[in-house]
Amino acid sequence: MAADPEIWIAIAGMALVAYACRAGGYWAMGFVRMTPRLEAGLAAMPSALVAAILARTLASAGPVEIGGVAAAFLVARYAGGDFAGMIAGIAAVAVLRNLGI
Amino acid sequence: MDEAKAAQSAAFTWGGVRKGAAAGGAMAANAAVYGVIFGALAAQAGFDLLVAAAMSALVYAGGAQVASLQIWASPIPLAAVWATSFAVNARYILQSASLRPWLRGSPPARTYASLFTLSDAGWAMSLHRWRSERPDAGFLFGTGVVQYLPWVGGTAAGHVLGNRIGSPESWGLDFIFPAFFAAMAAVMWKRRSELGPIVAGGGAALIAERFLAGHWSLVVGGLAGSLVGVIAHGRRP
Repeated sequence: MAADPEIWIAIAGMALVAYACRAGGYWAMGFVRMTPRLEAGLAAMPSALVAAILARTLASAGPVEIGGVAAAFLVARYAGGDFAGMIAGIAAVAVLRNLGI
Repeated sequence: MDEAKAAQSAAFTWGGVRKGAAAGGAMAANAAVYGVIFGALAAQAGFDLLVAAAMSALVYAGGAQVASLQIWASPIPLAAVWATSFAVNARYILQSASLRPWLRGSPPARTYASLFTLSDAGWAMSLHRWRSERPDAGFLFGTGVVQYLPWVGGTAAGHVLGNRIGSPESWGLDFIFPAFFAAMAAVMWKRRSELGPIVAGGGAALIAERFLAGHWSLVVGGLAGSLVGVIAHGRRP
């Protein structure tokens, strides 16, 4: 397949599209006058996007994954911070799966 | 956004790169695991080792790459492959837009180079970090680089190992990404004013998921949350 130049055209196009997305939002915002209103919209986005990612995870989750999300959230919030929470979530999922749940 | 921090000029420092790399260490393990999985899938799809590794090195977008394998055929459906890349990566348009107010004053060439390595986790970690420290594009770059190398290396390893790898599921290694975002939500969601965007973002994503393929539901969720932020801003005295 490496001999086929078409595959390199395909990959180059995918790479261009991916970089255009990664840089495009930042670039476009350079042409917009930053108003407090627009800044409020941009500032609200991270929490909403994280909520969207989690909602997608939970929508397809079974009891094990829900337990993992809960463990990660609770440990990060009330015990050891984000890194400890992440480890707790992974460990919870590993333990629950090995228990056959 | 904390106005005091936004007024402060951003930078790109190598100290920031180091900090970002250190903070992204756990996500490096995630990138390696997914790299191995993608490498094995690419081998099954008939990709050469060089092609698989080059794709990971140039595109650096796991979701888009795995999705493209599903529709790969001979001849290659170029338009569909590129459209898939756009559908899965469109959320980065929102993420990079949200970085703009923070990175005022950061040197453009280095900032645009850093954006090549933009990742979901690096983006979330950077925004969280910049709430308490001077915004530094180097931090974002560090979080990206530390995932980039294991991603490309993992792809090559997965291609060579093929299906001889065990199941990462029993170790919970497929859960690194969800666990990261659950923990991130726990440290990010602190203010009451964020409740509206959170509910709007999650709700809109769930509704959009019923109608839209790919990662469009994330884009819809992010935009819905932004809209709520704009409306709430207008109501504040």
